[in-house]
Amino acid sequence: MEETNDTQIFSEDIINLVIARLETIPPNIEMSIGNEGSFSIDELKERVKNQDNIGKKMIEMQLAYLRSLGNLPTQELQNAPATN
Amino acid sequence: MLLLLTRPRYDRPTHYLFYWAGLFIDEAKKKGVKVIDLDKGKSKKKKFHSYLAKQPIDTVIVNGHGNQKAVAGEDNEIILSTEDGAELLKDKTIFVRACDAGTILGKEIMKNGARGFIGYIQPFMFLIDKNSFNKPLEDELAAPVLECSNQVGISLIKGKSATEAQQDSLDKYAETIDKYSSSEATNSFLLPILLWNRTSQVCYQQQ
Repeated sequence: MEETNDTQIFSEDIINLVIARLETIPPNIEMSIGNEGSFSIDELKERVKNQDNIGKKMIEMQLAYLRSLGNLPTQELQNAPATN
Repeated sequence: MLLLLTRPRYDRPTHYLFYWAGLFIDEAKKKGVKVIDLDKGKSKKKKFHSYLAKQPIDTVIVNGHGNQKAVAGEDNEIILSTEDGAELLKDKTIFVRACDAGTILGKEIMKNGARGFIGYIQPFMFLIDKNSFNKPLEDELAAPVLECSNQVGISLIKGKSATEAQQDSLDKYAETIDKYSSSEATNSFLLPILLWNRTSQVCYQQQ
């Protein structure tokens, strides 16, 4: 798994991208992050803006997902038509 | 088979894990597997160590908060760490559903002769729908992650090895990720969380 460096500072574009993705989660939802506790989406957005440890985990998670989009889901591969 | 299960319950994450780990007891009953259930206040180091030392336990499933070197029971009391208790897991298979314990604690447990270990090398994350807080098993947003994670325990209870249980769980993650990737799927915001936990779940097994 790709990991962020504790001292790494992300660009404003990345921060805005991650915040936009967090905004797709309904507001009545919390995210449980192990022994760090449970966080509302607004709290997570603040953490991302502040780039603290929790915020960086959110950034790491969303970026890992976006990078994975280059890999087709197996269902699509299974449903793909034969080429000949 | 004899299963030792810890299910503390003292905050929101452990409240959810308490109920979802309760499904292991149902599965164990179906399979005729005996369970020692250290729930809530029973999930303490003294009891945990005592059962491990005195009972012929094959499989251990620990739910709770953790870090790279330790995992906690009720009220965040450390029940297992690299310094205390890893030797009690010799010849056993253990699933630790807690943050980060796969990094150092899992390897130490294997060094001490465990048969197999499954755990996480990053924080274990899931969503909680506040409207479902009193019925965690009916929380449709927590379920996708917790069902995939639960597959580890269910496969172990069925007598599978750590490697096989890990594969069953990873297959379930892949199936669930496919489901939420379809163009008709709602709640696609679950995908990064599913991928995160899938990638963070590690397995070690004796050769």
